[in-house]
Amino acid sequence: MQINDARKSKKNHIALALVCLLLQVMASPNIGMGNGRINFALIYAGVYALSVGGRRAVVAGFFAGLLYDALSTGPFGVMSSLLTILSFALGLEERNRFIDGFVPSLSAFGVGSLLVQLFYHITLSMLGDGASMVDIVLMRVLPAYAITFVCFLPFAYYEVRKGSGTRGKHAGGKSAGLRENYYDLRNL
Amino acid sequence: MPTMPSMPTGRNRKTPSKLIKNESGGGAGLLTMVLVIISLVLFTLNVGEGGEGFLTSVGGVAQTIVSPLRMAGAAILSPFVGVGNVVRNLTADEKSLTDLEDEIERLSARNVELEEAEVTARQLQELLDLRSAYNLQSTAAHVIAGATDSWVSSVTLDKGKGAGIEVGMPVTDSAGAVGQVMDSFATTSTVRLITDEGSSIAAMIQSTRAQGMLKGSPDGTLYLSFIRTDQAVEVGDIVVTSGLGGVFPKGLPIGKVSVVDSTPGSTYYSIVVEPYAHVENLEEVLVITSLTKEQRATAEDLQQSDAADMDAASGSAKTVEKQEDKETVDKTDADDAKTTDGYASNDDRYKVDDTTAASDEDDSETLEYESPHSTYGGGE
Repeated sequence: MQINDARKSKKNHIALALVCLLLQVMASPNIGMGNGRINFALIYAGVYALSVGGRRAVVAGFFAGLLYDALSTGPFGVMSSLLTILSFALGLEERNRFIDGFVPSLSAFGVGSLLVQLFYHITLSMLGDGASMVDIVLMRVLPAYAITFVCFLPFAYYEVRKGSGTRGKHAGGKSAGLRENYYDLRNL
Repeated sequence: MPTMPSMPTGRNRKTPSKLIKNESGGGAGLLTMVLVIISLVLFTLNVGEGGEGFLTSVGGVAQTIVSPLRMAGAAILSPFVGVGNVVRNLTADEKSLTDLEDEIERLSARNVELEEAEVTARQLQELLDLRSAYNLQSTAAHVIAGATDSWVSSVTLDKGKGAGIEVGMPVTDSAGAVGQVMDSFATTSTVRLITDEGSSIAAMIQSTRAQGMLKGSPDGTLYLSFIRTDQAVEVGDIVVTSGLGGVFPKGLPIGKVSVVDSTPGSTYYSIVVEPYAHVENLEEVLVITSLTKEQRATAEDLQQSDAADMDAASGSAKTVEKQEDKETVDKTDADDAKTTDGYASNDDRYKVDDTTAASDEDDSETLEYESPHSTYGGGE
């Protein structure tokens, strides 16, 4: 059996939201790769959807995207709609997918975030000068995707370790299991 | 008998079948559709506002609220931003190279000021008083953040509407023009850099006064367009703002020509310009808040620009034909009036040799052609 400490889970996700918001405001404008900037709203939506899923993830993705739109030069509604759809897709199973392992969660986020970046920049190009698709993909989509994916890795690693740490050995003990959302009574 | 540990109590105790999931229930699909529709409505409204409206104000409030955090982030992460400089200076002491580059920027800007003052003096017409090349009415600002997304190459300044900064104002640093204000909020403003794809500035070759349009590109390269292939352009020529459009002051340095390409039969050169300003490492900038009369393009500049367009469109044959007709009319009119343009007599007026024929053609074409004000560009 596994028991979900929902209060602790809620605290963890509030902390995740604050961390991503701070990083988006303070770090993202100052760290880039070419034209690419880190999208911490996308990272937050991905982590939440993969770890929680369901309706809460959809709402979290919507507001994360809305905040990104408010702080960027693009119009309202673009990133919020894309992150809403991403959160829905990643959170379809409504379970913590990080316990499946590092690579499956990375794969899911990798595909989803690439599509988000692609559609976001195509939408902005349609509103502007209509730059060539090659320029959009090479100069904007790929750099943004690469740097965002790299920054997603530590979040994913933390979530995977959190999930695998409660699955077995340290459940209910003094170590990391005390800070986890799940702990397994079978090992007591 | 071993005692079982106490089960955690609380409102979130769930039945075993539901413990595996974080939460129960569906309806996520319907919620997703609703939120996507709301997003699309917001998008439509925001685009329809055209830069002014409730949603734009909301964005402005958000920018204002996070501006202190942005400043703090810029201060904390400044060592990391300098990593790019470290990598570039690997072959030399970093401090020495950085100091030398600052000195070069200062000297280059000063040299452009002196060159521009010399050119203006040679072309002196009715005005007798000359002023220094840059009498900028401006306000200084500090760059607190780079681009906030991957679409626009921009920087954020620590001043906004409260300091008198408005959308459209040009921005420069000690080296040259760096961009134009695209958004202005209460305490911050966003500047679109000249290297951005959406940037376009009316510019000219300082030595030949050939006028064109300076545009950015996705990879940050600056291209100077609409310079005809019959105009003289060389690598190393200095590019300055032309003042057309009334946005940028006339004569502000931008950069120098690094590549000049032309394909046989093409009307315009393909010119790459290397900017003086290092837009990736901006710190302190000047936002030009107003232009003096001397900093604006003159009516003659506009006429020259329009004449250049006419020549490119119609070709040189028509120019020669018009000159021949005008000479006939002028000769008739001049017989009845004393000339005031420096010729000793009417006969002397028409003694033009081959070397001056080309320039005289342009002058006569410029003076005769009347066009509505031509908004050639000058930025956004």
